[in-house]
Amino acid sequence: MTGSDEAVLALRLAAPLQSWGGEGRFNRRDTRPQPTKSGVTGLLAAAAGRAREQDITDLLAMRLAVRADQPGTLLRDYHTVSDYRDVPLLSTKVNAKGQQQPAGKSTHVTERFYLQDAVFVAAITGPLETIDMLAQALKNPAFPLALGRRSCPPSGRLLLDTYRGMTVDQVLDTIPWQAAEHTKLRRLRQDGMSATATVSLPITVEDPAGTDQLTDVPSSFSLRARVFAARRVRHGWANPPAQWPRTGDADAPGSGTAAIHDPFALLDR
Amino acid sequence: MPKRLYVDVHVLQTVPPSNINRDDNGTPKHALYGGVRRSRVSSQAWKRATRLAFTDSVAKQDLATRTKRISALLAKTLADKTGLDEQQAARLSTALLAPLGIKSGKKADDTAYLLFFGRKQLDAIAALVARQATDLAALSDAELKKHCDRLPIIDTLNTGHPVDVALFGRMVADIKGLNVDAAVQVAHALSTHGVETEFDYYTAVDDENVEDSGAGMIGTIEFNSATLYRYATVSVHQLSENLADSEATADAVRTFIDTFVRCMPGGYGNSFAPRTLPHLVLVALREDQPVNLVSAYEKAVRGGASGIADESAARLAAEFKGVIETWGTAPAAHFATYYPGEGDEAKTLVDAFGRPVTLPQLLDGTHKKVAAWLAIGANA
Repeated sequence: MTGSDEAVLALRLAAPLQSWGGEGRFNRRDTRPQPTKSGVTGLLAAAAGRAREQDITDLLAMRLAVRADQPGTLLRDYHTVSDYRDVPLLSTKVNAKGQQQPAGKSTHVTERFYLQDAVFVAAITGPLETIDMLAQALKNPAFPLALGRRSCPPSGRLLLDTYRGMTVDQVLDTIPWQAAEHTKLRRLRQDGMSATATVSLPITVEDPAGTDQLTDVPSSFSLRARVFAARRVRHGWANPPAQWPRTGDADAPGSGTAAIHDPFALLDR
Repeated sequence: MPKRLYVDVHVLQTVPPSNINRDDNGTPKHALYGGVRRSRVSSQAWKRATRLAFTDSVAKQDLATRTKRISALLAKTLADKTGLDEQQAARLSTALLAPLGIKSGKKADDTAYLLFFGRKQLDAIAALVARQATDLAALSDAELKKHCDRLPIIDTLNTGHPVDVALFGRMVADIKGLNVDAAVQVAHALSTHGVETEFDYYTAVDDENVEDSGAGMIGTIEFNSATLYRYATVSVHQLSENLADSEATADAVRTFIDTFVRCMPGGYGNSFAPRTLPHLVLVALREDQPVNLVSAYEKAVRGGASGIADESAARLAAEFKGVIETWGTAPAAHFATYYPGEGDEAKTLVDAFGRPVTLPQLLDGTHKKVAAWLAIGANA
């Protein structure tokens, strides 16, 4: 339950590529299937202008809930790392004088995973002043914003709204389905064109009484002292308004049944 | 006073059948967007191409000029932080930097890349000598020189970074003072339309081999062609922090846009000769936030009668206007380079972007606006 001085900040996290890192390290950087607390806190801290070594305990004290409007699919990016000046890479070890030694090879091969074509709604619950400050900061960010990795800037609308006097579950039931038209059309066809007013979407809510655990709470964003703690979550469902797109308007003039069986659906590129 | 300035660079560029960026299977990279498979050039590939071209374009300077510039900045920081007057600070700064010139072992007229210190590094250097500053200022020249030779500060002074590091950043986990936050954000380039990979079956024949008929080697390479939407944003306030020098900042922004727009990753360059120039470049200077316009292409462009390039430009114009009208925040300035066409399509572009200017004019205009913004920051 949100207290009387709490509010919920709703964000729409959508981009062609986004990546919310989990346990991946070194040469294999994976992504979790949903935005992580570390990633979203980083986004908010960047908007608010917090430098890497600065304190983020007030941001971490807020609670994150995520709704998967469009889950997306996994993309593997083959990513090589080299020094553009064609010199060998430096090892992370330092000698007694504090200098890095050459690693002995010129190219690292890494693979990085992304979620492609995904849309999530993140609802962050916290004190009213912090939420208002963050809503303002997101419109005027100090650092450029990114969804997990710097090469993934958000596209479309990022800040949805702030809500007062509602629980986070109510907020997730209120915000309409943010998925793209092609996803909604596919769902419509799967459901046999019988559109209900609401749609069921999976949610993951941070809850001390939750039954599952996610290890994605960072201690700080300092490059050296990064430790992740766990938070308890519960999984559930939200039933927001679907806002189905209108089908068959432009394609088949005057044919209401054309929408049910569309032979060109497979060619719909 | 606006505290932040983002320079958004949007580029529409058509690449012919080619494979400029591939994965470990030789397949051109791809991504799914709006339910449609798109051609993709990874952000790291285009960043590398930009960085190589950028480093070639940046002017080199001789050692004497290098140390003079750093010396002036360090003197100002010392004067601010340690309470010395300008003359004393200048003298101390010159003495601190003198061993740099000798230790590098280069002759004074050797040219090399200009090194910069960001605000953070200058403050750190000043903090190191803060306590001894008044004592050092009281020493005679000879004693000061001897003292500075022995200071552990020399290693810190050797950590200056060239301009491309100020733009693209440097992350070193273990060593303090070497980290530089990047000022540039480059997104993955995506095609505005659906793209499928095509295959080129080739044979290699040894014409000298008259006994055996048949090819010496056969194989397949994959390729595709695409009209790519490319996006990058430069946060000028961050770059100004990294360089601590307004003139260098404005120059770096100009050179970055110039090289980003013109360069291309080199994959399969000889086989396909894919180097093209963009058909539309839009630079928007925003004081609120960077805005990525890739959502214009979430519904893939179909082409048809007007072709993909023209329709992509029209979509970008519509999205650019749409963002301004819906969210009520317009860029402080924008410049666009594109081929002026005729008819209605040209009208939509002019309506959204203004009349097209040449690329040198776009660069000059951006440079002037950035320099003006930096000047306000310096005086306020």
